[in-house]
Amino acid sequence: MLRFLLQRGGQALIAVFGVVTLVFFIQRITGDPTALLLPETATQADIEAMRATLGLDRPLLAQYINFLGDMAHFDLGRSFVQNASVEEIIVSRIPETLQLAAGALVVALLIGLPLGLLMALTKGRFISRWIMGIVLACQSMPTFWSGIMMILVFGVWLRWLPSSGTGTLSHLIMPSIALGLLSLATYARITRSAVVDEMGKDYVRSALARGVGTKRLVTKHLMRNSLIPIISITALELSQLLAGAVIVETVFAWPGLGLLTVQSIAARDFVVVQAVVLLGAFVTIFANLAADILYSIVDPRVRLSV
Amino acid sequence: MKNTLKGTLIAAAFAVGLTPLLNTSSIARDITIDLSGEPATMDPHKQWNPTSYYVYRNIFDNVLTRDNDGQIVGQIATSWKQTSESTLELTIREGVSFHDGEVLKPSDVVFSVKRITNKDFGSQQLGQFNKIVDASAKGNVVTLTTAGPYPALMAQLVKLSIVPEHVVEAVGDDAFNAAPIGSGAYAFSEWDRGVSVTLARNENYWGEKGPFDKAIFRAVTDPATRVADLQAGTADLVVSIDSDAAAQLSSNSAVKVLSAPTERVAFMGMNLDKPPFNNKEMRKAASLAIDRLGITEGLLQAGEIPMAQLSSPAHFGYNPNIKPFEYDLAAAKVITAANADLASTPATLATAPVFDQRIVQAIQQMLNDAGFNVSISMTDMPTFLGIVRSDPADNSELNFGRWSCACQDADGIAYPLLHSASNWSRLNLSEIDALLETARSSMDLDVRQAAYNEVHQMVRDNYYSLPLYQAAVLYGSTSGLNFKPTANESMFLNRMSISE
Repeated sequence: MLRFLLQRGGQALIAVFGVVTLVFFIQRITGDPTALLLPETATQADIEAMRATLGLDRPLLAQYINFLGDMAHFDLGRSFVQNASVEEIIVSRIPETLQLAAGALVVALLIGLPLGLLMALTKGRFISRWIMGIVLACQSMPTFWSGIMMILVFGVWLRWLPSSGTGTLSHLIMPSIALGLLSLATYARITRSAVVDEMGKDYVRSALARGVGTKRLVTKHLMRNSLIPIISITALELSQLLAGAVIVETVFAWPGLGLLTVQSIAARDFVVVQAVVLLGAFVTIFANLAADILYSIVDPRVRLSV
Repeated sequence: MKNTLKGTLIAAAFAVGLTPLLNTSSIARDITIDLSGEPATMDPHKQWNPTSYYVYRNIFDNVLTRDNDGQIVGQIATSWKQTSESTLELTIREGVSFHDGEVLKPSDVVFSVKRITNKDFGSQQLGQFNKIVDASAKGNVVTLTTAGPYPALMAQLVKLSIVPEHVVEAVGDDAFNAAPIGSGAYAFSEWDRGVSVTLARNENYWGEKGPFDKAIFRAVTDPATRVADLQAGTADLVVSIDSDAAAQLSSNSAVKVLSAPTERVAFMGMNLDKPPFNNKEMRKAASLAIDRLGITEGLLQAGEIPMAQLSSPAHFGYNPNIKPFEYDLAAAKVITAANADLASTPATLATAPVFDQRIVQAIQQMLNDAGFNVSISMTDMPTFLGIVRSDPADNSELNFGRWSCACQDADGIAYPLLHSASNWSRLNLSEIDALLETARSSMDLDVRQAAYNEVHQMVRDNYYSLPLYQAAVLYGSTSGLNFKPTANESMFLNRMSISE
């Protein structure tokens, strides 16, 4: 187990180093951000002065070493646009995004898993095809469209829910559904195929022959043994939720990392954009690491294949 | 029973007595304003992007301001006198207090000038004030010294906010940005990062007091959501909506659309050193091919006005006698047919995502319809800026741009786009350089206007650049809110009112 953890941990660290390096160089080769921070009327002297203030006048290698040092100390830098430390800005937004991601996961799991199970149990019947149609519709709707439609219906016409913003549980409902719809479809389809796979196995036939009831079969056998692909997809869905949050948070003016990203791009605040990209990459890497560890707990055979 | 009846009668009488008060238009209420993003800063000496400016301009008083008609009037300075070509004396208003109760002193004005012009402070607005080389106070008079004659100084002082020296020195720049103290009509109350900034009415304001108890500025990035908030009644005023949203709102009697031409001028820059636009006839053909009215009234529909000069009626230096450009596709085709080789030379129209791509694509189509061979090159903003500021050999043949100096003076647009010393300029003509220098350095308004008249006429006659239109801005508001949008896109809460 220790060897397994060390190997996966090592791989994660290499991936982190690669991401940090890529983010640094991609930001630098796509252009000089200094001109974007100044008014159009800024002279070349103004631009040079700003480059010196930001430390962009130093050799690229020196900047890179400095950047690595800052990363090692978890120093994300300072936003020149917002006049605040990037850490402070990011930390203030993380709870909002976590709240939204949790809401979306609840929507996806509470609706997606039962729908997937129902589709598997009614495979080949009309109801299964009907549910699959709904699931595909959920997956096909672009979030910016479904979000705006919900605002129009529930915020403007019916006035049941606040059209945007944050602060109460009612503010969370529409953004969670909009973001959760995509994951809901994924969970439903993965659950369906995993359960269908399991249902064809000998132990299920034996259980059925022994007269085990459907409820016990589902809770004790089918769902438990279908967990691996669901855990796996949860790791991937976390990064999907972060990506989807960019649109959902923008549409609903939800003050999380997604909206911060959009606002920082609009305000040309490249230090913040860089930090959000790094954070997203770290979350993806460590979610996958956590999924690997969970596999090994749920299915010990995984460790043997190291 | 008797007591209940008595109580009811007293309550009814009380209610009747109060009713007239409740029905008056002076009911105190809050206002919620949806901005297109979160204010980047509350420190008025840092960023001056619109979302920050809308908010902090209500917290701080400036040296000067513009009234709703765009005229420069006093704010913290009550009067001013140009004592020499490079010195300006400002008489400072007495009886003004900051929100912490401390009196605003001339030394605060001096401190504000020195703070924003201090290179180490690193203000993004430094380029607008770096002509000021000294500031001093004597009595209630502040003297500003500039590096030579600087006629645009008054226009720049409209943007200079006065910050309290005693607070900034005590708490430092970061803490001041997080909880600013000014002397404006509204005081800073709360900044919920990423969500909103709340201001409270300054009951001791020396000037016109605001009609709202509180003003909540929210960050709502998506324009469709801002419009939905207005329709749902959760916002009273929303900024930056487009003509489609305006059409949608026009059918709703509870809301209204407000529009105003701004001081932004859209133009098409041409590379005068490369074919085909190094040829005057080709530039004329390009101008004839562009249907400016089609762009403003067909595509934009927000009240934009076609322009034939690099300034607008909102600028000092605008020449009302410049003839509008005409749209004549047939005439353009005659010119390109007569110079077929030149017209078919591949030309790149550089653009970036920040610009309205409907306009860029319409211009490309119009030019190609006339016989040109134009392709669009879309790059990210840093690359675009690198291209349009590069030497003529590396520069694109065409580029689309919108220019604002936030100073409402032709110097802020004509000089950077036409003077050979500017890296934005495609022109290298000593005659135009000399006129622009005269206009930039003369303290005589007539001399300045005459110089700009000549510059605009030369650009018009030779098609050195193709001005397109004066941009407009659209707001949506509840029908009871009285707000007059201005060319400098300011949003003064104490100039608004509510009619019930």
